[in-house]
Amino acid sequence: MNWFTWRQHRKQFLVFGVLLAAFAALLIPTGIHFWHEYQHALQNCAQNPAVYNCSDLDSTIFGNQAAGSVRTLVIMGTFGLPLLAGLFIGSPLIAKEYEEGTNKLVWTQSVSRRRWLTTKLAWALLFALLYGALLAALATWWSRTINTIDQNRFVQGHFETQGLMPAAYSVFFTSVGFLTGAWFRKTVLAFAITFGVFVLCMASFANWIRPHYMTPVTVSSPMGPSFETQVPNEAWTISRDILDKNGKPIGDIFPSAPPECQQIIQQSEVRGNGHGGIRVKAVPSPNGGDPIDDCLNKAGFHQIAKYQPAYRYWDFQRIEAGIYMGLTAIAICATYWLVLKRDA
Amino acid sequence: MGEAAIQTKGLGKRYGSFWALENCSISVPEGSVSALVGPNGAGKSTLLKLLVGLSSASTGEGEVLGKTPAQHENFLSDIGYLAQEIPLYKSLDAADHIKMGAHLNKRFDKAFIRKRLSDIDIPLDRSVSKLSGGQRAQVALALALAKKPKLLLLDEPVAALDPLARHDFLSSLAQAVADGGLTVVMSSHLLADLERVSDHVIVLAAGKTQLCDDIDTVLKEHKLVVGPKQNKLPEDGFSIIHETHTAKQSTLLVRVDDKKKLPAGWQQHEPNIEEIILAYMGQAKEGGAR
Repeated sequence: MNWFTWRQHRKQFLVFGVLLAAFAALLIPTGIHFWHEYQHALQNCAQNPAVYNCSDLDSTIFGNQAAGSVRTLVIMGTFGLPLLAGLFIGSPLIAKEYEEGTNKLVWTQSVSRRRWLTTKLAWALLFALLYGALLAALATWWSRTINTIDQNRFVQGHFETQGLMPAAYSVFFTSVGFLTGAWFRKTVLAFAITFGVFVLCMASFANWIRPHYMTPVTVSSPMGPSFETQVPNEAWTISRDILDKNGKPIGDIFPSAPPECQQIIQQSEVRGNGHGGIRVKAVPSPNGGDPIDDCLNKAGFHQIAKYQPAYRYWDFQRIEAGIYMGLTAIAICATYWLVLKRDA
Repeated sequence: MGEAAIQTKGLGKRYGSFWALENCSISVPEGSVSALVGPNGAGKSTLLKLLVGLSSASTGEGEVLGKTPAQHENFLSDIGYLAQEIPLYKSLDAADHIKMGAHLNKRFDKAFIRKRLSDIDIPLDRSVSKLSGGQRAQVALALALAKKPKLLLLDEPVAALDPLARHDFLSSLAQAVADGGLTVVMSSHLLADLERVSDHVIVLAAGKTQLCDDIDTVLKEHKLVVGPKQNKLPEDGFSIIHETHTAKQSTLLVRVDDKKKLPAGWQQHEPNIEEIILAYMGQAKEGGAR
């Protein structure tokens, strides 16, 4: 079965190999370039702090259009390549055989259906793993400049494109392709549903599932600008809320604020200093603070932030990769069941 | 003819609440070439798929070459199967299919299939999607034969072929049968073709077995009798398969017990196998409508 699986799918494997090589051809030179730029910028700052803007190295290095485009392309590519493996290796692997009736040809040779399936799945999964691992290594290496400057590898969009995740996604979405293909027996349908599962997973994990792997750390502070500094570097901020004196989160300050504070807010509006959303600014009070913040603090308002500290990064990578491996195992078991138990 | 290559008892297949095949009991002798006939939806493809283990039966049991159909190598290695749509891997050429056959079967005869395909001028290096329907059918048949099966199950292999390709295909099949050791079951709508190559007939209609016997026996036991309309045949020894009436006379196709003599007033003709098969299919249809 090995030779035949290779003969049947070598073109796909080759195309994906080329795709990955092309991506590497983008990542390797730009990765080196940006790291050099960063070292160079650090030097400039040390020698000439007055001339160079050292508080915002991100825009120094990625501010121009070309660098910005490369950065976007790398992140999109690292999201997209595992999906492509699911769509073009996973989905057609079984669906196409059903669709073209060749399952009836190959299942009536002297090879059991189970062995046929095992060989095909093993090859495709092995390829997806290798492909995903190379992609992960490349993208993680490339991201070191951004990681060092922005310290944001834990946040959504960066978490998914570094560490273990690209490999886990490649394997998982490929197995989703197997399952949907075996289930619906139509390549196009398997393709569409695999895509749907990808969108669903990307949205739901970052927003609803990942924040709960471990209990977030909560910090509380009085109303005021001090808030931003309370979440440490490299941490992943889950939520920020303003609580009233009963500890109840409030969405909009104005209707919940006591009358005397509402008055100050309205006055500040008249003076033309706009306010809105969560933070409210007004003219400084005599002691240097914000009169609205002072008033709200007096009324018992305070703010809290929940975050996952930076040292949990690899735990989170392992937990999420583990969840995806579990889901992969389920998808593969279901694929076996569908192929072996259902009629041709 | 020796033992039964295929023996089924009450075999049935249900999809949801619909019975594709019901209570099918047949026996196919070893070394025979059986024609499996019946109208569309009679369950022919379903039966063949059950026999080769591509689907599993809802009721009853079947024994094929002494084994229960299964997805296992031991069972599959003795059976050649050609599905209705003549599936081949579109992107591969005939040479790749030969390699596949050799790779996936222990007894695969590479020399035989190469010679066979070159004898009928089929290019080995052209992707099968560029071959004609007739050539594809020949490649698929050659693949099934090169497996050196003891039983060959063919599901309407000539349905999509033009008359010449059909003739070539059936010649190839007849030659393979002449080489010996092969039992064949072939389904088709083309009764005349089947008569040319087969010696055993199975009629499926309305999901049930209507007839399963040697063609010689079938011909011997069936008579077309014509008589005045008011005449009645004795019930004992004559079973009416199909009847047509005009104002004055009745034409009956009957199965006759060998020793029974036809009563006076009836004329007897020898029907051909096509007439007999049509009569059985017609009977099933009326039975279904009733």
